[in-house]
Amino acid sequence: MNAGLVSVLFVAVALVAVGAFVATWKRDLTAALAGLPLMFGGAGVAFAGAARFSAAGDPKIFGQEVAALLAVAALALVALGVGIAGRGTSR
Amino acid sequence: MDSLHAIGFYASAAISLGGGLLVAFLPGRAGRGLALALSGLGIAGLYASLSADFAGLLALVCYAVCALLIAGPRYRIVDSPIGMPWRQAGAVAAAGLFAVLAYAAFRGDFVHAAYKGGEFGIAGIGRLLFVHDALATEAVGALVLVALVGAAAAWRVRDRAR
Repeated sequence: MNAGLVSVLFVAVALVAVGAFVATWKRDLTAALAGLPLMFGGAGVAFAGAARFSAAGDPKIFGQEVAALLAVAALALVALGVGIAGRGTSR
Repeated sequence: MDSLHAIGFYASAAISLGGGLLVAFLPGRAGRGLALALSGLGIAGLYASLSADFAGLLALVCYAVCALLIAGPRYRIVDSPIGMPWRQAGAVAAAGLFAVLAYAAFRGDFVHAAYKGGEFGIAGIGRLLFVHDALATEAVGALVLVALVGAAAAWRVRDRAR
């Protein structure tokens, strides 16, 4: 069993598509926010995979850096969205 | 990638995608939060199998906090005025996005490079973040600051309105 860059990109693309599906499918906008970390995670997986398999020049861990920044950005956007949505009704 | 890493990669991919689909279809906020945490666990496993251990650790923490925010008591419902036909169109568009990007990934001609790996990578990533790409790090730091200030301001306004 082996996994290459194409396998990584397939998984990354699937994560982005699932995140987009969550963002469009949920009627509750706060629940739709959960699609953002999935999309950002997919982008991060693509960057990390490119760094792992295809980074020819320096720095070779640039993709890992972008993945880490994307995780932090996803958390910040979800916190902002949940905070702004605080005027709705509780369920 | 050796067989052990490949098995971890595919198992993590299944966990992350399954968690993402559960986020889409579970009705309650607690279930959605758990599913998002499960998906974050899978994404962290993907990073770890790609030798990005530090990014995986950071993603694990960030997605756990995201899951707490989604499942926590601060959660409020904001109903969208968009009807079912447009939501279905969005779902079809997401499937189309997957098809186009997957085709691009399959047909792409990528450079193959050797990767030694094996290290945790925190020192190298730290050098990149604070020396090579300091502007990007400051931009994300500013985003985090604005998001936290905005969230705190929104919560305070809501508490005063009660």
